[in-house]
Amino acid sequence: MLDTARAIPTPEGIELSLRLAGPVSRALAWAVDLLVRLAVFVALSIPLGVLGYVGSGLLLLLWFALEWLYPTLFEVYFDGSTPGKRSLGLIVVHADGTPVGLTASLTRNLLRAVDFLPALYGFGLLAMTLSREFQRLGDIAAGTVVAYRDTAFQQAAIPQAVPLPPPGPLTAEEQRAVLDLAARSRSLTDERSEELASIAPALTGGLQGRQALERLLSNANFLIGRRA
Amino acid sequence: MTQQEFESRYAARWEEFAAWLQQSRTKRPRGQPPPPIDAFEVPARYRELCQHLALARDRQYSGDLIERLSRLALAGHQALYGARTRGPERVLGFLRAGFPRAVRREIAFVWLAALLFFGPIAVLSFAVPRHPDFAYVVLPARILDEFQQMYGDSAKSLGRKREADSDVAMFGFYIYNNVRIGFQTFAGGLLFGLGTLFYLLFNGLLIGTLMGYVVHLGLATNFFSFVSGHSAFELTAICLSGAAGLKLGYVLIAPGRRARAAALRTAAVEALPLVVGLAGMLLIAAAIEAFWSPRTSVPPPLKYGVGAAGWLLVLAYFGFVGRERGA
Repeated sequence: MLDTARAIPTPEGIELSLRLAGPVSRALAWAVDLLVRLAVFVALSIPLGVLGYVGSGLLLLLWFALEWLYPTLFEVYFDGSTPGKRSLGLIVVHADGTPVGLTASLTRNLLRAVDFLPALYGFGLLAMTLSREFQRLGDIAAGTVVAYRDTAFQQAAIPQAVPLPPPGPLTAEEQRAVLDLAARSRSLTDERSEELASIAPALTGGLQGRQALERLLSNANFLIGRRA
Repeated sequence: MTQQEFESRYAARWEEFAAWLQQSRTKRPRGQPPPPIDAFEVPARYRELCQHLALARDRQYSGDLIERLSRLALAGHQALYGARTRGPERVLGFLRAGFPRAVRREIAFVWLAALLFFGPIAVLSFAVPRHPDFAYVVLPARILDEFQQMYGDSAKSLGRKREADSDVAMFGFYIYNNVRIGFQTFAGGLLFGLGTLFYLLFNGLLIGTLMGYVVHLGLATNFFSFVSGHSAFELTAICLSGAAGLKLGYVLIAPGRRARAAALRTAAVEALPLVVGLAGMLLIAAAIEAFWSPRTSVPPPLKYGVGAAGWLLVLAYFGFVGRERGA
């Protein structure tokens, strides 16, 4: 399947998956970060400007810190995300899914200097499009990926219905199809879920529309173990 | 076992694990109840969760349940396998052993970088006084004129274009500029070492030409009394940034028996201490360059003495510190 999910095998013998972020959302996160940095710089340049030459020296120090230390500081000590990445729901992790550490974060952010070349992250974009995991050069050297942060997850309940066994034994895949339809039926419009239910006459015995959906919901209730 | 039985039997345990994860991320405030699971029990609970996830997948339970379990498992994986970043003791260990050891380990690259950087300096500082016109090939006349003023006998503060530039302003500028050059020289290694090669040769060319030019002008005392103080820290730091970059370039060209990406990852981990260390050295250099070097009230012999002491200090640090066991 064509997908941006990255599977991570773990020592416990299971596979976890990360959903990787592509160039567009990462560029947007970078733009937000740039605005944040500029805002900090401008806000502090007003009081520092009063100090004259001393202030201008301190401003250069500030910009140095904002340019080189800001990303690492946030990635390591604030849960893997700079403010820009957080606003886009992104997080930096090691390629094995563990939280990014100081070494990897420093590496990817110092090597940014090359990703930025020849202009506006040209090499970074090139590397990302060639890489299977959307890694820019700094990411490849640091062994990190940028993934979507998991949002709060609500398990969709299968709607209650009178449990009814399906007409015959179903393969695992068929069971999955019925269960998935039942779980999604609340988020779909009635017309659409009825239309979908009507595609399976072998299960519903040729029922159409509302009746077909109800029959499949009953089957789903039976499959997850509810009994009358 | 049906999905519903499975869920009703284990849901409470999953919720306990989720509660532990939630609390492990933040420091527990006073008065809040302790997490439901003892810390010693967590690995066993995590393995149990992994087993449940594997069962749920194998038995084709609903996608939602599998999603819920795999998110829990991912969070558990991150909590259990994520490395903790330690604070101050790590800095101390780095200064007492990590940094000098890393430099000794990569000494071949350091020598190569030094050759590429000091080579042009040596050649040009010898050749330019004999053929001063060459300076105008490298640099525009305007900059050379400025240079003459910065180190002229009438300059109140050496190495400054305007008298008004304060020490603090120059300190900020030196850090902003020099540390960035250091980082860029390192990062240039990703271009198969070409970026690093360019920065080393280019900076060597620039410094060598200027050095030869001031000798030609007869301002050598002013110039060398300015640069001697911070030269040890600054020039060594540039060599280290070159070494770190050359290392990256080398493994990209000759990764040996590994994939290029894998070789690069290892090399980056090994090169990083050099980069962190050289940033610190450039910080010291910037402080000396801003607050000590420009003083015209200090007699040149004293400045040469301080410069020589700096070189001894740097060489002794890389030569001897961190050699003992357990440091």
